[in-house]
Amino acid sequence: MARFIAALAFVGATYTAFSPGIYADEPTDAALTLDAQKGKELFDQSCISCHGANAQGVDDRGPSLIGVGSAAVEFQVNTGRMPMVRQEAQAERKPPMFTPEEAAFLGAYIQAIGGGPEVPESVDLENLEGADIATGGTLFRVNCSSCHAFSTGGGALSSGKYAPSLYPASSVEIYQAMLSGPQNMPVFADNQLTPDQKRDLIAYIKYIQDDQAQGGWDLGAFGPSTEGLAIFLVGIVALAIATLWIAGKS
Amino acid sequence: MSTELPASGEHGEKAEPFDVLDPNAARFELVKEALRRDGIEILHYEPRFPVPGTKEEKRIVRTISFFFVLSGLAALGFIVAYIWWPWEYEFGGADTWSKWYTPVLGALLGIALGGIGIGILTWSKKLFPVEELVQERHDGASDPVERRLTGATLANIGDETGIARRPMLKRALLFGAAPLGLAALMPIGGLIKDPGDALFTTGFDAEKFNGGKPVRLMREDGTLVRPEDVSVGGQITVFPAIPGGATLKHADSPTLLIHLREPDGAEARANAYEMNRGSQWQNFIAYSKICTHVGCPASLYEQQTNRLLCPCHQSQFHITDNAMPIFGPATRALPQLPIDVDEEGYFYAVSDYKVAIGPAFWEREKK
Repeated sequence: MARFIAALAFVGATYTAFSPGIYADEPTDAALTLDAQKGKELFDQSCISCHGANAQGVDDRGPSLIGVGSAAVEFQVNTGRMPMVRQEAQAERKPPMFTPEEAAFLGAYIQAIGGGPEVPESVDLENLEGADIATGGTLFRVNCSSCHAFSTGGGALSSGKYAPSLYPASSVEIYQAMLSGPQNMPVFADNQLTPDQKRDLIAYIKYIQDDQAQGGWDLGAFGPSTEGLAIFLVGIVALAIATLWIAGKS
Repeated sequence: MSTELPASGEHGEKAEPFDVLDPNAARFELVKEALRRDGIEILHYEPRFPVPGTKEEKRIVRTISFFFVLSGLAALGFIVAYIWWPWEYEFGGADTWSKWYTPVLGALLGIALGGIGIGILTWSKKLFPVEELVQERHDGASDPVERRLTGATLANIGDETGIARRPMLKRALLFGAAPLGLAALMPIGGLIKDPGDALFTTGFDAEKFNGGKPVRLMREDGTLVRPEDVSVGGQITVFPAIPGGATLKHADSPTLLIHLREPDGAEARANAYEMNRGSQWQNFIAYSKICTHVGCPASLYEQQTNRLLCPCHQSQFHITDNAMPIFGPATRALPQLPIDVDEEGYFYAVSDYKVAIGPAFWEREKK
């Protein structure tokens, strides 16, 4: 019996000394900050089925997230687009599954393993006072209006995809979207539109959304089609009733 | 129409014909006579309120008065608002008075005009006498007597001019009038202009606009474009870097510079038509922004599916296959601009577009 215990102790000691530790095959962990570790836990629960282990992607399910950066992650998670409910033409905005804090953890994790664009600390998106709205307007018309419409209300793309309305998007979300080019949106990186230009652009978007239409009710600012339909239905019906009343026998 | 002469001195009786000049004729009788002469017969005629001053009548009078007064008040309000309402645009927010200037003017003017209209209509519908009139209308062609008389009159006028007898006058008139008609057509001729090669060249034509030096690409604010300005999956609208290159003077020149992903860039190179070979610079590809259907800006770029969409009629172009149309009414590919990077690191156009940009025109194939 004593020999058996001694043998067990020997085997145990040898194993402890020579075997790789349980976590040793994931050396990144040691390099991760506390936030990124929390993000990894969340990732391994909720994202791994489509984006794969270590965010390397799964064919026909989800793309690799190496190099997408924290801006992309926080945009997708905070707007509820990720996690997706199902594979379809476009991930839609919906109530987010994670708190902004958790989204930041996920962002930190993806940033730590692959790098990528981040929203610079230096740009003040909370307070848009002093931004050049006129410049922002020019930039919006050149770069954004073709898909998101002049009124920021969005529009159709091909095969069931669409450019979403910008009304529900916060300043930071708009910045992150330009930086990361979510889904079919082109990337507008900080070398193409500088952080200051992006701030001007966001200020312009917020301004035209807050500014009241000069002509009264704008019917969602979708343009001449809605207005034409409205005046046809409402106006013609009103005129028909008026004519009937004038011509009718009293 | 024969005139009724006073035939008899009797009055007070319904005489046929009616004596219009009778000083004692009742006014309503005159009205009836006027209608009769127009072929109108009164079938039924009674006042709306045979007993004046009933409750109902007073109520209607009050309603009509209300609309008139409302109209007057709204018109006064309009004048006041027009003069004193703060109308100057105030920046920001929805809670400024000036934003309501136009709606307030519109609403008040609408009430003022509507009030008058409704008042008058109600007056005529609710207070005027109840009447039923019938007017005879003839069927078919006009009376043969009338037709014969009119025909004779017209033929007589023709005879009076004597144009058949005086051929010289006829020819002189023709000579005078025909060139006058041509003169009226002349302003249309002013709209016809030979465009020369304007439809075949854009601002990227080095010979025509840049003294033979290759034209660089610039942004709308005039800054030149370097490869590092456009990230992978990004796109940028570029213009020829010549004076006025981003203005309407060169409205045919806006170009979309796209930075494709590595595999997409390789696919585009492999698919390139003979004409487009070597037009790409690494994974950068530049296409005319002007749709080949009717010339809208086809600039909705889908970076995952590599499609360019035109918002006007939903044409779609396949970026990695020579911007060939794959959906919608466009039938020709978007022309590709051959680009390269010079020793200073700026993009430039190797040559102008190889084919005419934009929608088709008659002489397009001739060059």
